[in-house]
Amino acid sequence: MEPLVKLRGIVKRFPGVVANDRVDFELRRGEVHALLGENGAGKTTLMNILYGLYQPDEGEIYVKGRKVRLRSPRDAIDLGIGMVHQNFRLIEPHTVLENIILGLREPGIRIDFEKHAERIRLLAEKYGWRIDPWMRVWQLSAGEKQQVELLKILYRGADILILDEPTSVLTPHETRMLFKALRRMAGEGKGVIFITHKLGEVMEISDRVTVMRRGRVVVTKSTKETSPEELAYYMVGRSAILDFGGVESAPGEVVAEVIDLEALSDKGVPALRKVSLAVRSGEILGIAGVSGNGQVELAEVIVGLRKATGGKVIISGIDATNKSTREIIELGVAYIPPESVRWGIIPEMRVVDNLFLKAYRYPPYSSKLILNWGRMFEKAEELVKEYEIVTPSVHAKARSLSGGNLQRLVLARELSGLIGEGIPKLIVAAYPTKGLDVRATNFVHKTLLRYRRLGAGILFISEDLDEIMMLSDRIAVMFEGRITGLLERGKADKEKLGLLMSETAPS
Amino acid sequence: MPTKIETRLGTIRIERRLTYSRLASAATTLTAFLLSLLVVAVILRVMGLDPARAFAVIGEVFLVPRLLSESVKQSIPICLSALGLAIAFKMNYWNIGAEGQIYMGMIAATGIVLLHAYYNLFHESMLLPLMTIASFILGGAWCLITGILKAKLNVNEILTTLMLNYVAILLVDYLVHGPWRDPKGYGFPLSIEFPDQAKLQFLFGSPACTGLLVAVVAAALVFCVLDYTRLGFEIKVVGQSLRVARYAGMNVSKIILLGSFLSGGLAGVGGLSIVSGIIGRLRPGASPGYGYTAIIVASLAGLNPWLVVAASIFFGGLLTAGGALQASMNIPRAATQMIQAIIFLFILVGEFLKRYRIVFERGGRT
Amino acid sequence: MIEWLESALHLTVQMGTVYLLASLGEIYAERSGILNLGLEGMMIMGAALSFIFTLAYGHLAAIIASIAAGVLMSLILAVMAIRMRLNQVVTGLALTMLGLGLSGFLASPEIRRGILLTLNPNIPENLLGIQQAPTLPEYPIPILSEIPLVGEAFFHHNPLVYASYAAAPLMWYILFKTRLGLSLRSVGEDPAAADSLGVNVFLVRYLATMISGGFAGLAGAYLFLGFQPFWNEGMTAGKGFIALSLVILSTWNPLRAILGAYLFGGIETLQFRLQLMGWKAQSPYFLAMLPYLVAIITLTLISLENVRKRIGVPASLGVPYSREE
Repeated sequence: MEPLVKLRGIVKRFPGVVANDRVDFELRRGEVHALLGENGAGKTTLMNILYGLYQPDEGEIYVKGRKVRLRSPRDAIDLGIGMVHQNFRLIEPHTVLENIILGLREPGIRIDFEKHAERIRLLAEKYGWRIDPWMRVWQLSAGEKQQVELLKILYRGADILILDEPTSVLTPHETRMLFKALRRMAGEGKGVIFITHKLGEVMEISDRVTVMRRGRVVVTKSTKETSPEELAYYMVGRSAILDFGGVESAPGEVVAEVIDLEALSDKGVPALRKVSLAVRSGEILGIAGVSGNGQVELAEVIVGLRKATGGKVIISGIDATNKSTREIIELGVAYIPPESVRWGIIPEMRVVDNLFLKAYRYPPYSSKLILNWGRMFEKAEELVKEYEIVTPSVHAKARSLSGGNLQRLVLARELSGLIGEGIPKLIVAAYPTKGLDVRATNFVHKTLLRYRRLGAGILFISEDLDEIMMLSDRIAVMFEGRITGLLERGKADKEKLGLLMSETAPS
Repeated sequence: MPTKIETRLGTIRIERRLTYSRLASAATTLTAFLLSLLVVAVILRVMGLDPARAFAVIGEVFLVPRLLSESVKQSIPICLSALGLAIAFKMNYWNIGAEGQIYMGMIAATGIVLLHAYYNLFHESMLLPLMTIASFILGGAWCLITGILKAKLNVNEILTTLMLNYVAILLVDYLVHGPWRDPKGYGFPLSIEFPDQAKLQFLFGSPACTGLLVAVVAAALVFCVLDYTRLGFEIKVVGQSLRVARYAGMNVSKIILLGSFLSGGLAGVGGLSIVSGIIGRLRPGASPGYGYTAIIVASLAGLNPWLVVAASIFFGGLLTAGGALQASMNIPRAATQMIQAIIFLFILVGEFLKRYRIVFERGGRT
Repeated sequence: MIEWLESALHLTVQMGTVYLLASLGEIYAERSGILNLGLEGMMIMGAALSFIFTLAYGHLAAIIASIAAGVLMSLILAVMAIRMRLNQVVTGLALTMLGLGLSGFLASPEIRRGILLTLNPNIPENLLGIQQAPTLPEYPIPILSEIPLVGEAFFHHNPLVYASYAAAPLMWYILFKTRLGLSLRSVGEDPAAADSLGVNVFLVRYLATMISGGFAGLAGAYLFLGFQPFWNEGMTAGKGFIALSLVILSTWNPLRAILGAYLFGGIETLQFRLQLMGWKAQSPYFLAMLPYLVAIITLTLISLENVRKRIGVPASLGVPYSREE
């Protein structure tokens, strides 16, 4: 039985990097094949080639036995290949139906809305989903949106499905539903490629697994014949166990508190429903939960980027509710925003400009109106050394720095106490290691622990349960805008956290 | 757009650049500029005009001292407005209303002259300073209106500034045909002529020299503001990313308001330079599109204050040449706008070409 | 009284059609994500060419030439905005300047003379120098034009007005009820999503831009041949830009554009009428300011309801698309 897909000798180069280096890959009928690797290993690039978004520089692609050239996603779709990306490619203001039938080749000019609506409903039921084709996509939950993405490709008769990190936005319950549906698809003879970096999922759902590292295939194995430890070794090359020596915490006074906090999301629906928390100096309070349950909104309200519609925020004993961002910065609050490399940096401005993005207005870096560049250049050189930021000079544009170095820049800016006296009292870090490689992630962890020792209070938001359990003194779990549980270190394990992440708290 | 052309000598490849070289960048712009002149020549030829003679006339404008002085004079309103636009564009505030702000500046300046002429409220040595202040304020306020709408309600500033242009022009029409018409003007829609102390040549003898001095001082001020003040830093950050600016604790509203006011104010002073330096009174259509030319100048100069001065002189020269071309070769005035636009378009395309470079490899097929 | 109202409505439709034609095309461009600030320039080129071609050949040739001019100019915008991914605001403005300058150049007495003779060597001598051209004839629609009040107002117009009556609902239907329209709207909201489903983002945007250019040229031709058949430089006087505000006012919906277009047509009619009635006869200038001020006010009012309009503005408007980020 020949494989559904065969990739041979694929090479893809981008300016400055070889993303795929002579990669061989095979997908069989009726199998769920996991593609495992760290960020930047080349998994997504390889699949983008299979989906026709990129053209390989060298190599051959065989689909269902025939050699093909995929010049665009249209070619891939025509061959029965469908891809669900990590960031959903859904058009939010449009309806489910419009999203599913977009680009469908049909005779006639008119769209037969009724016919399509019925067919979609039936198809969804087959996989255990309940979808209303007339709903607008922005009204759906993450899990439902993913179902729409899958329906998109199934509706076109895809029998080769590529899923890129599908569970990163799902609750454990939704993940289980997805796996059931995938099993069903495999049972129908379809082939599923499942890109992930989560070892547990690989073991649970896949029949075979291919591990990639730095653009090359390390190994392809039957999942039954391997283990998470072995896979981890293939993925990183060495045991990636990080040991922090379990420093006992000695938390001091409360540096920040929120009481019955309420706020709305960007879409106008309640994002925070009477949240109450307290962070003490010298402790890391982890916030766990699937992203999209109010964590970012919580952070934004605390730092003054979002209005609280109810409740209070108290920082260092002062009522800071709905104060301006600047006032909160002056109270000694540092904020490492989510995707800070994208939203906390200005790529076109210099390293020194980015370092002083908040501190530029305070002495000694400026007097009444004029900026004191001399001081800023000096201090910038210091910070670059201290935080080991790799850059040709402080005058280089930020866009020339790598992701890891940009994160170091953000940390340097936020944590080194450029404003006022001493280190920040409260550090709010939202998904600070997302998208970073192992080395950069380690640096972030080390830095946060350092400031914990120095007495800062840290609010640490992350999706990665391992990371949260490793760093936090206490863990709060958020679900649908509420705190569903608060656990001490040592008393938390993944099962308990998983449950709290998907259930409503008794109010 | 990686493309390959094989020749007998070797392969020519066009590929994306990794690094940007100043030299290549300037060379590309120059090439684009020359190509645009070529296209202009072709158009003139096709329409039965002599391109060589036309270019000679244009060239003269920069070489003959009398004409050069005229070019510099014309360049001042452009330069001042473009400097204002440099501030606005840096902030990503698309101020298309420089023309209207110029007109409002002219109204303010004329108003001060009239106040002095009819009510003698102050000494005549105060004329120019007061006119400068007034034109700055009125021009700034005109732009500030759109700034407020943008800051508070996120109303698209492109359209609002544009609409206000037409309103300002009509306002001048009204004033000059009505209450501000010169009673001794034989019925023509003109304001009274400005007294000497209200004219720019009063300061240094030649309006060109005064103007140039003003332009250079303004450029220096803008340069200092943008690179050395807190506001300048904030303007740059807001222009790059509103979101990051807010995250950094900046008061984006305030910055937009200040920036738009400064931008309009400079254009307003540009208006002053027209009624005081070029015409000597207020009349309809006093600005032949200086405000729009300023947009081209600011863009082409890459928002760099010093390049703005240079580019303004060039376009000021073009405008002067426009008059000469009409007088000597009967080429309609509209041609100047057309030529400006063609140069602009070509240089814009040049910006695109700068992203690529030509690589030549020896040893093709034998 | 009825007479006055009838002719006022008639004039409203006449003047509003300029805005309607221009904004219909622009709606398609913006729905696909392209902001066409060259609209004014394309309109005036349409007006200038309709002037020249009517004198040389006649109305039909003039209309075709105007549309062609608009399409060609918008093609320049398309290449620069889509292929080269240059800033659409700046490019559009440059094209408007080009249009204004080029139209003034071509329609100026000497140059025009040469062009007319080249186009039609047999052109009668008296046409070489005049500054105006014959307007499009008006045709009453049988039966419908007999209806009191409404009949004269809506059913006694030149063919281009009737064309606009057909165009608006047709463009609405295509946009919302057909696959092409769905693709177009999707490209404007999320080009990456559309691309990943095989929609040719670039082709769609090229087409949409050329449609806006064609309609702009047509609007310019209508302006000249419909009711302002005297050529003078810059005769569009910002109508193209008012049309841009109209597009926003109509929330990118062709049917609502009809309302907006006639609203502005009505304002201009009002200005006209008041002037004729001697109201503030010595300062017609303030009345002339009305359309521009109303445009600003409507833009402001729309922005007040910003939250609801979030579903209105095409999300990728003005943002160039590239596949390999």
